[in-house]
Amino acid sequence: MTAAALALTEVGKIYRTASGPVQALDGIDFRIAEGEFLSILGPSGCGKSTLLSLASGLEFPTSGTVEQAGRRIDRPVTDIGIVFQTDVLLDWRRVLDNVMIQPQIRGLDLKAYEQKARDLLALVGLAGFEDKYPYELSGGMRQRVSICRALIHNPPLLLMDEPFGALDALTREQMVMELHQLWLRERKSVMFVTHDIQEAILLAQRVLVMTPRPGRIAEIVEVDLPFPRRPETMESRRFVEIVAHVRHLFERHGVLKKY
Amino acid sequence: MDRFRIPTSLDGPIVGLLILIVWETGVRIGGVPAYLLPPPSAIAQRLFTDWDQLLYHFAATTLEVVIGFVLAIVVSIPLAALLAQIRIFERMLYPVLVASQTIPKVAIAPLLVVWFGFGLMPKVLIAFLICFFPIVVDSLVGFRSAPKEVSWLARSMGASRWQTFVNFQVPAALPHIFAGVKVASTLAIVGAIVGEFVAADRGLGYQLIVANGALDVTLSFTVLVVLSLMGVALFALVDRVERWALPWHVSQRLKHGGSP
Repeated sequence: MTAAALALTEVGKIYRTASGPVQALDGIDFRIAEGEFLSILGPSGCGKSTLLSLASGLEFPTSGTVEQAGRRIDRPVTDIGIVFQTDVLLDWRRVLDNVMIQPQIRGLDLKAYEQKARDLLALVGLAGFEDKYPYELSGGMRQRVSICRALIHNPPLLLMDEPFGALDALTREQMVMELHQLWLRERKSVMFVTHDIQEAILLAQRVLVMTPRPGRIAEIVEVDLPFPRRPETMESRRFVEIVAHVRHLFERHGVLKKY
Repeated sequence: MDRFRIPTSLDGPIVGLLILIVWETGVRIGGVPAYLLPPPSAIAQRLFTDWDQLLYHFAATTLEVVIGFVLAIVVSIPLAALLAQIRIFERMLYPVLVASQTIPKVAIAPLLVVWFGFGLMPKVLIAFLICFFPIVVDSLVGFRSAPKEVSWLARSMGASRWQTFVNFQVPAALPHIFAGVKVASTLAIVGAIVGEFVAADRGLGYQLIVANGALDVTLSFTVLVVLSLMGVALFALVDRVERWALPWHVSQRLKHGGSP
Protein backbone atom coordinates (compact mmCIF):
# COMPACT_ATOMS: atom_id res chain seq x y z
CA MET A 1 0.00 0.00 0.00
CA THR A 2 1.39 3.44 -0.92
CA ALA A 3 1.70 6.07 1.77
CA ALA A 4 -1.38 8.22 2.19
CA ALA A 5 -1.20 11.91 1.32
CA LEU A 6 -2.27 12.55 4.88
CA ALA A 7 -2.76 10.05 7.67
CA LEU A 8 -4.02 10.74 11.18
CA THR A 9 -3.80 7.89 13.64
CA GLU A 10 -5.75 8.00 16.91
CA VAL A 11 -5.15 11.72 17.19
CA GLY A 12 -6.19 13.56 20.33
CA LYS A 13 -5.60 17.21 21.09
CA ILE A 14 -5.98 18.84 24.46
CA TYR A 15 -5.60 22.59 24.98
CA ARG A 16 -4.60 23.94 28.35
CA THR A 17 -6.70 26.97 29.14
CA ALA A 18 -7.16 29.14 32.21
CA SER A 19 -10.30 27.20 33.10
CA GLY A 20 -8.65 23.79 32.79
CA PRO A 21 -7.81 21.43 29.93
CA VAL A 22 -10.17 21.37 26.95
CA GLN A 23 -10.32 18.34 24.72
CA ALA A 24 -10.54 19.66 21.16
CA LEU A 25 -10.11 16.38 19.31
CA ASP A 26 -10.54 12.80 20.39
CA GLY A 27 -9.76 9.56 18.55
CA ILE A 28 -9.44 11.10 15.12
CA ASP A 29 -8.35 8.41 12.71
CA PHE A 30 -8.47 8.79 8.95
CA ARG A 31 -6.29 8.92 5.86
CA ILE A 32 -6.52 10.83 2.61
CA ALA A 33 -5.35 8.68 -0.29
CA GLU A 34 -3.25 10.19 -3.04
CA GLY A 35 -5.56 12.11 -5.35
CA GLU A 36 -8.51 11.81 -3.02
CA PHE A 37 -10.95 14.61 -2.25
CA LEU A 38 -12.07 14.35 1.36
CA SER A 39 -14.56 16.76 2.88
CA ILE A 40 -14.56 17.38 6.59
CA LEU A 41 -18.04 18.42 7.64
CA GLY A 42 -19.10 19.65 11.02
CA PRO A 43 -20.53 22.55 13.01
CA SER A 44 -18.39 25.24 14.56
CA GLY A 45 -16.46 24.07 17.58
CA CYS A 46 -15.91 20.54 16.29
CA GLY A 47 -12.17 21.07 15.94
CA LYS A 48 -12.01 21.60 12.18
CA SER A 49 -9.48 24.39 12.49
CA THR A 50 -7.41 22.34 14.90
CA LEU A 51 -7.36 19.56 12.32
CA LEU A 52 -6.03 22.03 9.77
CA SER A 53 -3.26 23.32 11.95
CA LEU A 54 -2.29 19.72 12.78
CA ALA A 55 -2.22 18.86 9.07
CA SER A 56 -0.03 21.87 8.30
CA GLY A 57 2.34 21.27 11.20
CA LEU A 58 1.58 24.48 13.07
CA GLU A 59 0.42 22.46 16.06
CA PHE A 60 1.10 18.92 17.16
CA PRO A 61 -1.25 16.32 18.60
CA THR A 62 -1.33 15.56 22.32
CA SER A 63 -1.68 11.88 21.45
CA GLY A 64 -1.51 9.86 18.23
CA THR A 65 0.41 10.73 15.05
CA VAL A 66 0.00 12.86 11.96
CA GLU A 67 1.86 11.78 8.83
CA GLN A 68 2.19 13.35 5.43
CA ALA A 69 3.28 11.00 2.62
CA GLY A 70 4.55 8.55 5.23
CA ARG A 71 6.61 11.14 7.14
CA ARG A 72 5.66 12.11 10.61
CA ILE A 73 4.94 15.82 10.88
CA ASP A 74 7.10 17.51 13.50
CA ARG A 75 7.51 21.01 12.07
CA PRO A 76 5.53 23.39 9.82
CA VAL A 77 4.85 21.61 6.55
CA THR A 78 5.79 23.36 3.32
CA ASP A 79 4.60 20.63 0.93
CA ILE A 80 1.05 21.96 0.92
CA GLY A 81 -1.16 24.62 -0.52
CA ILE A 82 -3.56 26.38 1.85
CA VAL A 83 -6.75 28.25 1.02
CA PHE A 84 -8.42 30.09 3.88
CA GLN A 85 -11.95 31.36 4.37
CA THR A 86 -10.66 34.87 3.78
CA ASP A 87 -8.56 35.08 0.64
CA VAL A 88 -5.53 36.59 2.48
CA LEU A 89 -4.38 38.32 -0.69
CA LEU A 90 -1.62 40.86 -0.25
CA ASP A 91 -3.29 44.19 -1.03
CA TRP A 92 -0.10 45.79 -2.26
CA ARG A 93 0.64 43.16 -4.88
CA ARG A 94 -1.07 42.87 -8.22
CA VAL A 95 -2.92 39.65 -9.04
CA LEU A 96 0.01 38.00 -10.82
CA ASP A 97 2.43 39.00 -8.04
CA ASN A 98 0.06 37.61 -5.44
CA VAL A 99 0.34 34.21 -7.11
CA MET A 100 4.07 34.64 -7.65
CA ILE A 101 4.79 35.25 -3.95
CA GLN A 102 4.73 31.47 -3.54
CA PRO A 103 7.61 30.62 -5.97
CA GLN A 104 9.37 33.82 -4.92
CA ILE A 105 9.53 32.90 -1.24
CA ARG A 106 10.48 29.34 -2.12
CA GLY A 107 13.31 30.55 -4.33
CA LEU A 108 12.02 28.80 -7.45
CA ASP A 109 12.74 29.77 -11.05
CA LEU A 110 10.56 32.87 -11.47
CA LYS A 111 10.54 32.88 -15.29
CA ALA A 112 9.14 29.38 -15.56
CA TYR A 113 6.64 29.94 -12.79
CA GLU A 114 5.37 33.18 -14.21
CA GLN A 115 4.07 31.32 -17.25
CA LYS A 116 2.50 28.77 -14.94
CA ALA A 117 0.86 31.53 -12.90
CA ARG A 118 -0.61 33.05 -16.04
CA ASP A 119 -1.89 29.66 -17.15
CA LEU A 120 -3.49 28.99 -13.76
CA LEU A 121 -5.15 32.41 -13.70
CA ALA A 122 -6.49 31.82 -17.20
CA LEU A 123 -7.78 28.44 -16.09
CA VAL A 124 -9.92 30.03 -13.36
CA GLY A 125 -11.16 32.71 -15.76
CA LEU A 126 -8.89 35.55 -14.67
CA ALA A 127 -6.99 36.09 -17.91
CA GLY A 128 -6.64 39.84 -18.40
CA PHE A 129 -6.73 40.55 -14.64
CA GLU A 130 -3.04 39.85 -13.98
CA ASP A 131 -2.18 43.51 -13.44
CA LYS A 132 -5.17 44.45 -11.28
CA TYR A 133 -4.89 45.10 -7.58
CA PRO A 134 -6.95 42.86 -5.26
CA TYR A 135 -9.32 45.71 -4.36
CA GLU A 136 -10.41 45.85 -7.99
CA LEU A 137 -11.70 42.26 -7.86
CA SER A 138 -14.94 40.74 -6.55
CA GLY A 139 -14.93 38.31 -3.62
CA GLY A 140 -15.17 35.29 -5.90
CA MET A 141 -12.33 36.49 -8.11
CA ARG A 142 -10.13 37.16 -5.07
CA GLN A 143 -10.71 33.64 -3.79
CA ARG A 144 -9.83 32.27 -7.25
CA VAL A 145 -6.51 34.10 -7.03
CA SER A 146 -5.82 32.59 -3.63
CA ILE A 147 -6.57 29.11 -5.04
CA CYS A 148 -4.05 29.76 -7.83
CA ARG A 149 -1.52 30.81 -5.19
CA ALA A 150 -2.13 27.53 -3.35
CA LEU A 151 -1.64 25.46 -6.51
CA ILE A 152 1.26 27.09 -8.33
CA HIS A 153 4.04 25.17 -6.61
CA ASN A 154 2.24 21.93 -7.43
CA PRO A 155 1.81 20.72 -3.84
CA PRO A 156 0.73 17.11 -3.36
CA LEU A 157 -1.83 18.16 -0.74
CA LEU A 158 -4.30 21.02 -0.72
CA LEU A 159 -5.84 22.20 2.57
CA MET A 160 -8.99 24.26 2.20
CA ASP A 161 -10.62 25.91 5.21
CA GLU A 162 -14.21 26.86 4.33
CA PRO A 163 -12.87 28.58 1.22
CA PHE A 164 -16.29 29.65 -0.03
CA GLY A 165 -17.74 30.55 3.36
CA ALA A 166 -17.48 34.29 2.81
CA LEU A 167 -19.06 34.31 -0.66
CA ASP A 168 -22.68 34.88 -1.64
CA ALA A 169 -24.74 31.80 -2.48
CA LEU A 170 -24.67 32.15 -6.27
CA THR A 171 -20.94 32.84 -6.49
CA ARG A 172 -20.46 29.99 -4.11
CA GLU A 173 -22.25 27.47 -6.34
CA GLN A 174 -20.20 28.66 -9.29
CA MET A 175 -16.95 28.31 -7.33
CA VAL A 176 -17.87 24.81 -6.14
CA MET A 177 -18.28 23.64 -9.72
CA GLU A 178 -15.04 25.33 -10.76
CA LEU A 179 -13.14 23.69 -7.95
CA HIS A 180 -14.62 20.35 -8.97
CA GLN A 181 -13.44 20.84 -12.56
CA LEU A 182 -10.02 21.85 -11.33
CA TRP A 183 -9.78 18.79 -9.15
CA LEU A 184 -10.85 16.47 -11.99
CA ARG A 185 -8.02 17.92 -14.06
CA GLU A 186 -5.27 18.02 -11.46
CA ARG A 187 -6.31 15.18 -9.17
CA LYS A 188 -4.66 16.62 -6.10
CA SER A 189 -5.27 15.23 -2.65
CA VAL A 190 -7.62 17.68 -0.99
CA MET A 191 -8.75 18.15 2.58
CA PHE A 192 -11.78 20.39 2.28
CA VAL A 193 -13.21 21.73 5.53
CA THR A 194 -16.76 23.05 5.43
CA HIS A 195 -20.00 23.34 7.37
CA ASP A 196 -22.13 23.15 4.25
CA ILE A 197 -23.64 19.69 3.78
CA GLN A 198 -24.40 19.98 0.04
CA GLU A 199 -21.01 21.46 -0.77
CA ALA A 200 -19.22 18.74 1.21
CA ILE A 201 -21.03 15.95 -0.59
CA LEU A 202 -21.00 17.42 -4.09
CA LEU A 203 -17.23 17.82 -4.14
CA ALA A 204 -15.97 14.79 -2.27
CA GLN A 205 -15.33 11.12 -2.65
CA ARG A 206 -15.77 10.72 1.09
CA VAL A 207 -17.26 12.99 3.72
CA LEU A 208 -15.90 12.84 7.23
CA VAL A 209 -18.75 13.90 9.50
CA MET A 210 -17.65 15.40 12.82
CA THR A 211 -19.46 16.13 16.04
CA PRO A 212 -18.40 18.77 18.53
CA ARG A 213 -17.04 18.96 22.08
CA PRO A 214 -14.82 17.05 21.87
CA GLY A 215 -14.33 16.80 18.11
CA ARG A 216 -14.98 13.20 17.14
CA ILE A 217 -15.66 11.40 13.89
CA ALA A 218 -19.34 10.45 13.71
CA GLU A 219 -18.95 8.59 10.45
CA ILE A 220 -17.00 8.62 7.23
CA VAL A 221 -19.63 8.64 4.49
CA GLU A 222 -18.79 7.24 1.05
CA VAL A 223 -20.14 9.44 -1.73
CA ASP A 224 -20.80 7.04 -4.62
CA LEU A 225 -22.02 9.64 -7.07
CA PRO A 226 -20.69 9.50 -10.65
CA PHE A 227 -18.16 12.03 -11.98
CA PRO A 228 -18.17 14.67 -13.24
CA ARG A 229 -20.61 16.15 -10.78
CA ARG A 230 -22.91 18.92 -11.97
CA PRO A 231 -25.38 21.26 -10.29
CA GLU A 232 -28.10 18.80 -11.35
CA THR A 233 -26.35 16.12 -9.34
CA MET A 234 -27.89 17.76 -6.29
CA GLU A 235 -31.35 16.79 -7.58
CA SER A 236 -30.45 13.12 -8.04
CA ARG A 237 -32.05 10.56 -5.70
CA ARG A 238 -28.73 9.27 -4.45
CA PHE A 239 -27.53 12.79 -3.55
CA VAL A 240 -30.71 13.50 -1.62
CA GLU A 241 -30.35 10.18 0.20
CA ILE A 242 -26.79 10.98 1.26
CA VAL A 243 -27.83 14.45 2.47
CA ALA A 244 -30.63 12.85 4.48
CA HIS A 245 -28.20 10.36 5.97
CA VAL A 246 -25.79 13.12 7.05
CA ARG A 247 -28.64 15.14 8.52
CA HIS A 248 -29.73 12.09 10.42
CA LEU A 249 -26.21 11.72 11.80
CA PHE A 250 -26.24 15.31 13.02
CA GLU A 251 -29.68 14.85 14.56
CA ARG A 252 -28.55 11.74 16.38
CA HIS A 253 -25.60 13.66 17.87
CA GLY A 254 -27.74 16.63 18.80
CA VAL A 255 -26.10 19.01 16.30
CA LEU A 256 -29.39 19.44 14.44
CA LYS A 257 -32.71 19.44 16.24
CA LYS A 258 -35.56 17.23 15.02
CA TYR A 259 -38.78 19.02 14.13
CA MET B 1 -29.97 69.64 -17.42
CA ASP B 2 -26.26 70.22 -17.16
CA ARG B 3 -25.51 72.42 -14.20
CA PHE B 4 -22.13 74.01 -13.74
CA ARG B 5 -20.19 72.26 -11.00
CA ILE B 6 -17.21 73.59 -9.13
CA PRO B 7 -14.36 71.03 -9.32
CA THR B 8 -13.98 69.38 -5.91
CA SER B 9 -10.26 70.18 -5.90
CA LEU B 10 -11.18 73.89 -5.60
CA ASP B 11 -13.44 73.47 -2.53
CA GLY B 12 -10.66 74.29 -0.08
CA PRO B 13 -9.22 77.34 -1.93
CA ILE B 14 -12.72 78.78 -2.43
CA VAL B 15 -13.54 78.60 1.28
CA GLY B 16 -10.15 80.11 2.07
CA LEU B 17 -10.75 82.96 -0.36
CA LEU B 18 -14.18 83.63 1.17
CA ILE B 19 -12.67 83.86 4.66
CA LEU B 20 -10.08 86.35 3.39
CA ILE B 21 -12.75 88.52 1.76
CA VAL B 22 -14.90 88.55 4.91
CA TRP B 23 -11.81 89.35 7.00
CA GLU B 24 -10.66 92.20 4.75
CA THR B 25 -14.10 93.86 4.45
CA GLY B 26 -14.84 93.30 8.15
CA VAL B 27 -11.63 95.01 9.24
CA ARG B 28 -12.11 97.93 6.80
CA ILE B 29 -15.79 98.54 7.50
CA GLY B 30 -15.47 97.99 11.25
CA GLY B 31 -12.42 100.22 11.43
CA VAL B 32 -10.41 97.69 13.45
CA PRO B 33 -6.93 99.14 14.11
CA ALA B 34 -4.03 97.25 12.51
CA TYR B 35 -2.33 96.74 15.89
CA LEU B 36 -5.25 94.47 16.87
CA LEU B 37 -6.14 92.71 13.62
CA PRO B 38 -4.39 93.67 10.42
CA PRO B 39 -6.24 93.13 7.13
CA PRO B 40 -5.00 90.34 4.83
CA SER B 41 -3.83 92.94 2.32
CA ALA B 42 -1.42 94.42 4.89
CA ILE B 43 -0.08 90.96 5.68
CA ALA B 44 0.42 90.25 1.99
CA GLN B 45 2.23 93.53 1.61
CA ARG B 46 4.48 92.73 4.56
CA LEU B 47 5.24 89.33 3.05
CA PHE B 48 6.45 91.19 0.01
CA THR B 49 8.49 93.96 1.66
CA ASP B 50 10.09 91.86 4.43
CA TRP B 51 10.74 88.79 2.31
CA ASP B 52 14.51 88.72 2.93
CA GLN B 53 14.11 88.76 6.74
CA LEU B 54 11.32 86.18 6.59
CA LEU B 55 13.34 83.92 4.29
CA TYR B 56 16.31 84.03 6.65
CA HIS B 57 14.23 82.94 9.64
CA PHE B 58 12.23 80.52 7.54
CA ALA B 59 15.45 78.77 6.49
CA ALA B 60 16.59 78.49 10.12
CA THR B 61 13.32 76.98 11.29
CA THR B 62 13.04 74.66 8.28
CA LEU B 63 16.46 73.23 9.05
CA GLU B 64 15.43 72.43 12.63
CA VAL B 65 12.10 70.96 11.56
CA VAL B 66 13.53 68.79 8.81
CA ILE B 67 16.40 67.41 10.88
CA GLY B 68 14.13 66.66 13.86
CA PHE B 69 11.44 65.13 11.67
CA VAL B 70 13.79 62.96 9.63
CA LEU B 71 15.61 61.86 12.77
CA ALA B 72 12.28 60.83 14.32
CA ILE B 73 11.36 58.79 11.23
CA VAL B 74 14.75 57.12 11.07
CA VAL B 75 14.72 56.17 14.76
CA SER B 76 11.02 55.40 15.34
CA ILE B 77 10.26 53.01 12.52
CA PRO B 78 13.14 50.58 13.12
CA LEU B 79 12.42 50.76 16.85
CA ALA B 80 8.77 49.86 16.25
CA ALA B 81 9.84 47.01 13.95
CA LEU B 82 12.13 45.70 16.68
CA LEU B 83 9.43 45.98 19.36
CA ALA B 84 7.02 44.10 17.08
CA GLN B 85 9.50 41.26 16.49
CA ILE B 86 10.66 40.65 20.00
CA ARG B 87 7.96 40.39 22.63
CA ILE B 88 10.26 40.90 25.56
CA PHE B 89 11.49 44.22 24.15
CA GLU B 90 7.94 45.43 23.88
CA ARG B 91 7.06 44.30 27.40
CA MET B 92 10.13 46.06 28.78
CA LEU B 93 10.33 49.20 26.65
CA TYR B 94 6.77 50.09 25.74
CA PRO B 95 5.66 51.10 29.26
CA VAL B 96 8.77 53.28 29.55
CA LEU B 97 7.94 54.92 26.23
CA VAL B 98 4.38 55.63 27.29
CA ALA B 99 5.48 56.97 30.67
CA SER B 100 8.05 59.25 29.03
CA GLN B 101 5.27 60.73 26.93
CA THR B 102 3.42 61.98 29.98
CA ILE B 103 6.14 64.60 30.41
CA PRO B 104 5.13 67.63 28.33
CA LYS B 105 7.83 68.36 25.76
CA VAL B 106 7.28 72.07 26.25
CA ALA B 107 8.24 71.69 29.88
CA ILE B 108 11.61 70.12 29.17
CA ALA B 109 12.53 72.66 26.51
CA PRO B 110 14.32 74.97 29.02
CA LEU B 111 16.24 71.97 30.33
CA LEU B 112 17.41 71.08 26.84
CA VAL B 113 18.66 74.63 26.43
CA VAL B 114 20.67 74.26 29.64
CA TRP B 115 22.16 71.01 28.36
CA PHE B 116 22.72 71.82 24.70
CA GLY B 117 22.97 75.60 24.48
CA PHE B 118 21.29 78.10 22.23
CA GLY B 119 22.09 76.59 18.85
CA LEU B 120 20.43 74.13 16.54
CA MET B 121 20.59 71.14 18.87
CA PRO B 122 17.82 71.81 21.44
CA LYS B 123 15.29 72.76 18.72
CA VAL B 124 16.06 69.64 16.73
CA LEU B 125 15.73 67.55 19.87
CA ILE B 126 12.35 68.96 20.82
CA ALA B 127 11.06 68.46 17.28
CA PHE B 128 12.43 64.93 17.39
CA LEU B 129 10.91 64.12 20.79
CA ILE B 130 7.49 65.42 19.84
CA CYS B 131 7.44 63.47 16.53
CA PHE B 132 8.85 60.29 17.92
CA PHE B 133 5.89 58.91 19.82
CA PRO B 134 3.09 59.02 17.22
CA ILE B 135 5.36 57.36 14.67
CA VAL B 136 6.36 54.57 17.07
CA VAL B 137 2.80 53.87 18.17
CA ASP B 138 1.30 53.84 14.68
CA SER B 139 4.17 51.81 13.23
CA LEU B 140 3.87 49.25 15.99
CA VAL B 141 0.18 48.83 15.23
CA GLY B 142 1.13 48.51 11.57
CA PHE B 143 3.74 45.81 12.10
CA ARG B 144 1.14 43.88 14.07
CA SER B 145 -1.69 44.41 11.61
CA ALA B 146 -1.33 41.25 9.51
CA PRO B 147 -3.98 38.65 10.44
CA LYS B 148 -2.76 35.30 11.77
CA GLU B 149 -3.59 33.62 8.45
CA VAL B 150 -0.80 35.64 6.87
CA SER B 151 1.87 34.22 9.16
CA TRP B 152 0.33 30.80 8.66
CA LEU B 153 0.56 31.26 4.90
CA ALA B 154 4.16 32.47 5.17
CA ARG B 155 5.13 29.43 7.19
CA SER B 156 3.49 27.08 4.69
CA MET B 157 5.82 28.60 2.10
CA GLY B 158 8.80 27.98 4.34
CA ALA B 159 9.45 31.72 4.63
CA SER B 160 12.32 32.75 6.87
CA ARG B 161 11.79 35.38 9.52
CA TRP B 162 13.44 37.99 7.36
CA GLN B 163 11.35 37.01 4.31
CA THR B 164 8.19 37.22 6.38
CA PHE B 165 9.20 40.64 7.66
CA VAL B 166 10.07 42.08 4.26
CA ASN B 167 7.30 40.53 2.18
CA PHE B 168 4.38 40.44 4.58
CA GLN B 169 4.89 42.67 7.63
CA VAL B 170 6.49 45.79 6.19
CA PRO B 171 4.06 46.39 3.30
CA ALA B 172 1.09 45.77 5.61
CA ALA B 173 2.54 48.27 8.09
CA LEU B 174 3.14 51.08 5.60
CA PRO B 175 -0.34 52.69 5.70
CA HIS B 176 -0.12 52.88 9.50
CA ILE B 177 3.42 54.21 9.36
CA PHE B 178 2.33 56.96 7.01
CA ALA B 179 -0.56 57.87 9.31
CA GLY B 180 1.93 58.37 12.14
CA VAL B 181 4.38 60.29 9.96
CA LYS B 182 1.59 62.63 8.83
CA VAL B 183 0.65 63.47 12.40
CA ALA B 184 4.32 63.95 13.21
CA SER B 185 4.85 66.27 10.22
CA THR B 186 2.59 68.90 11.81
CA LEU B 187 4.04 68.33 15.28
CA ALA B 188 7.63 68.81 14.11
CA ILE B 189 6.98 72.52 13.48
CA VAL B 190 5.39 72.91 16.92
CA GLY B 191 8.53 71.41 18.44
CA ALA B 192 10.92 73.69 16.61
CA ILE B 193 8.88 76.82 17.46
CA VAL B 194 8.72 75.87 21.14
CA GLY B 195 12.49 75.50 21.10
CA GLU B 196 12.90 78.93 19.53
CA PHE B 197 10.53 80.51 22.04
CA VAL B 198 12.74 79.37 24.89
CA ALA B 199 16.06 80.59 23.54
CA ALA B 200 17.10 81.53 20.03
CA ASP B 201 18.64 84.23 17.91
CA ARG B 202 17.00 83.20 14.66
CA GLY B 203 14.01 81.28 13.30
CA LEU B 204 10.34 82.08 12.85
CA GLY B 205 9.63 81.47 16.53
CA TYR B 206 12.30 84.04 17.43
CA GLN B 207 10.88 86.49 14.88
CA LEU B 208 7.43 86.01 16.38
CA ILE B 209 8.72 86.89 19.85
CA VAL B 210 10.50 89.96 18.50
CA ALA B 211 7.40 91.11 16.57
CA ASN B 212 5.24 90.66 19.64
CA GLY B 213 7.70 92.62 21.76
CA ALA B 214 7.56 95.49 19.28
CA LEU B 215 3.74 95.26 19.11
CA ASP B 216 4.18 94.73 15.37
CA VAL B 217 1.01 92.62 15.03
CA THR B 218 1.14 92.70 11.25
CA LEU B 219 4.56 91.04 11.32
CA SER B 220 3.28 88.46 13.82
CA PHE B 221 0.49 87.56 11.42
CA THR B 222 2.92 87.45 8.53
CA VAL B 223 5.12 84.98 10.42
CA LEU B 224 2.05 82.87 11.24
CA VAL B 225 1.18 82.74 7.55
CA VAL B 226 4.70 81.57 6.70
CA LEU B 227 4.51 78.95 9.46
CA SER B 228 1.21 77.58 8.24
CA LEU B 229 2.50 77.48 4.67
CA MET B 230 5.47 75.49 5.94
CA GLY B 231 3.14 73.06 7.72
CA VAL B 232 0.95 72.60 4.68
CA ALA B 233 3.99 72.03 2.47
CA LEU B 234 5.47 69.39 4.78
CA PHE B 235 2.15 67.60 5.10
CA ALA B 236 1.61 67.71 1.34
CA LEU B 237 5.07 66.29 0.79
CA VAL B 238 4.35 63.30 3.04
CA ASP B 239 0.98 62.85 1.36
CA ARG B 240 2.66 62.84 -2.05
CA VAL B 241 5.17 60.21 -0.99
CA GLU B 242 2.35 58.11 0.41
CA ARG B 243 0.37 58.23 -2.82
CA TRP B 244 3.45 57.27 -4.74
CA ALA B 245 4.41 54.46 -2.38
CA LEU B 246 0.96 53.02 -1.71
CA PRO B 247 -1.17 53.24 -4.84
CA TRP B 248 -3.13 50.28 -3.55
CA HIS B 249 -4.05 51.76 -0.21
CA VAL B 250 -7.72 52.11 0.70
CA SER B 251 -7.76 55.80 1.52
CA GLN B 252 -6.13 56.54 -1.82
CA ARG B 253 -8.60 54.31 -3.61
CA LEU B 254 -11.55 56.18 -2.09
CA LYS B 255 -10.12 59.51 -3.17
CA HIS B 256 -9.57 58.40 -6.75
CA GLY B 257 -12.92 56.61 -6.88
CA GLY B 258 -11.68 54.03 -9.36
CA SER B 259 -8.64 52.31 -10.69
CA PRO B 260 -5.38 54.16 -10.14
